[in-house]
Amino acid sequence: MLLTAEKLEKRYGAKVALAGIDVQVAAGEVLGFLGPNGAGKSTTMRILSGVIGADGGRVVIDGHDLADDPIAAKAALGYLPEAVPLYPELRVVEYLAFRAELKGVLRKYRVSYIEEAMQKARVTDVAYAPIGTLSKGYRQRVGLADALVAKPKLLLLDEPTAGLDPAQIVEVREVLRGLGPEHGVLLSTHILSEVEAVADRAIVIDHGKVVAAAAVTELRAADPAFLIGVSSTDVALALLKPFAGRVVATVAEGGAVRVALVAGSAEGRDGVAEEVVAAFVGGGVGVRSVVPERPRLEEVFLALTRSRAEQP
Amino acid sequence: MRGFWPLFKRELLVFYATPLAWVLAFAFLTVQGLHFYALLASIASSPEVSDQSPLQAFFGETVILYFVQFMLVIPPLTMRLFAEERGRGTIELLLSAPITPLALVLSKYLAALLTYVLLWFPTLFYVFVIARTGYVDPAVVATSYLGVFLAGAALLAVGTLCSALVRSQFLALILTAFVILLFFVGGLFTFLTKDGTVAHAVATHLSLWTHMMDFSSGIIDSRHVVFYSSATIVPLYVTTRIVDGWRWA
Ligand SMILES: Nc1ncnc2c1ncn2[C@@H]1O[C@H](COP(=O)(O)OP(=O)(O)O)[C@@H](O)[C@H]1O
Ligand SMILES: [Mg+2]
Repeated sequence: MLLTAEKLEKRYGAKVALAGIDVQVAAGEVLGFLGPNGAGKSTTMRILSGVIGADGGRVVIDGHDLADDPIAAKAALGYLPEAVPLYPELRVVEYLAFRAELKGVLRKYRVSYIEEAMQKARVTDVAYAPIGTLSKGYRQRVGLADALVAKPKLLLLDEPTAGLDPAQIVEVREVLRGLGPEHGVLLSTHILSEVEAVADRAIVIDHGKVVAAAAVTELRAADPAFLIGVSSTDVALALLKPFAGRVVATVAEGGAVRVALVAGSAEGRDGVAEEVVAAFVGGGVGVRSVVPERPRLEEVFLALTRSRAEQP
Repeated sequence: MRGFWPLFKRELLVFYATPLAWVLAFAFLTVQGLHFYALLASIASSPEVSDQSPLQAFFGETVILYFVQFMLVIPPLTMRLFAEERGRGTIELLLSAPITPLALVLSKYLAALLTYVLLWFPTLFYVFVIARTGYVDPAVVATSYLGVFLAGAALLAVGTLCSALVRSQFLALILTAFVILLFFVGGLFTFLTKDGTVAHAVATHLSLWTHMMDFSSGIIDSRHVVFYSSATIVPLYVTTRIVDGWRWA
């Protein structure tokens, strides 16, 4: 594992920001780090990058414990803070030269590394502009170039598309998609489509705890449901009474019933669908269509975080 | 000390890329020039009255002027060192980089110290002019500048510490100015306390006033050197601990 963080805890006074977070990132993997605002994403990112200390837990980056050997651990990471702090008085190349030297890039590689980072982050056209004069989209990508400049094995990107307009978001996402094979990436965001667009795997946190961890495709398949087009929704609902406890049935638009498997049920979606359709046909309800519902990550996310909020 | 050079270079670049250093240099050298002119004029008008060498007068007699200079020059040189990085959030960029807290503190401090030394450098011209008009003891010149250097080194270290204590540059400025003022007011106690008492000994030991008088008379008192060395090292050490502590906060 490129990054292993175990049982991270952080308190701000009486407020618990992190209550035991585990994160693992493998080399070459893009891990989405999802959570609503205030979930503890930035706090986790700051701990992983060595900017603040945790009250408990352990961080190992590329085999180096962040507490015991901070220099070696930090040499393996590139960090893009959420607020993208930069030095406005420096030009982009001056800034990247400073950062490359600070991160220990040898003189003979510096020029080529800087050029490569500017290309990847698409800021070559503003190389000689003072950072203070750049638009938010460009500043975000200068921050990204900074994170990339020393070719770190691990990238920690804290909400890299926050505050950008749609065109800029598309640009940054394109950059992010290209990072996969060379770097392990931990990408924090509160926008699910971002994870769908660029990540392989995601973990979802809320109130300082991990509430789900899975491949993006698996996350989407959680809490399965299907829509059945029927000749009579009333009769269909009545026929579903014997399934109480196994499924939740509701009337959906266009003369259909939505049949959702009860969360946590071990039953296969397809098996249940067959049983339900058989019951409908047997009860004299015409079945027009059966469509498995593929819930968007947004819905999964809401379901996961809501259920946590309901059990304090 | 990993990271020292890039940090040191950037710090100097910022000093000279912003108007601050140039405004300071202009104001400082103007005041020093006027001071020097007034001194020469008074010596020229009544050469037999003074029992001091012109140089002693330049560096020693007008200690109050020194305090004004220290108060005007040192706090602006150090106020932004850490307060600005924390205010802007760029401190995250530094703390996540593979550098040591000691390199971070020393690079910033030494950049301020070098700027301070460069500010004083042109005053050698005045000394050169005095040397042309009368006798100047090279030893006195050397010890005088040593005094200016040691006092500046210590006060800049205090300023660096103040900048790490607060997030606001303005607060850091005020805090540093107050500490310098404290040294000055403390020095007054050498005149208020009786010779031979403990209070007098303490006041004398801490008084920048007494120190400058000795340095400008060509005297290097090892106690003064020890005082300034510790007044430099202790604040820098504490600053390093504070910066290291941010990782655990
Ligand atoms: N410096 C701080 N002092 C006090 N509380 C903080 C501080 N930083 C974060 N918090 C709190 O910790 C929680 C997690 O914050 P954060 O990690 O910024 O969330 P996210 O990045 O997921 O939006 C929030 O409730 C926030 O108010
Ligand atoms: Mg955040």
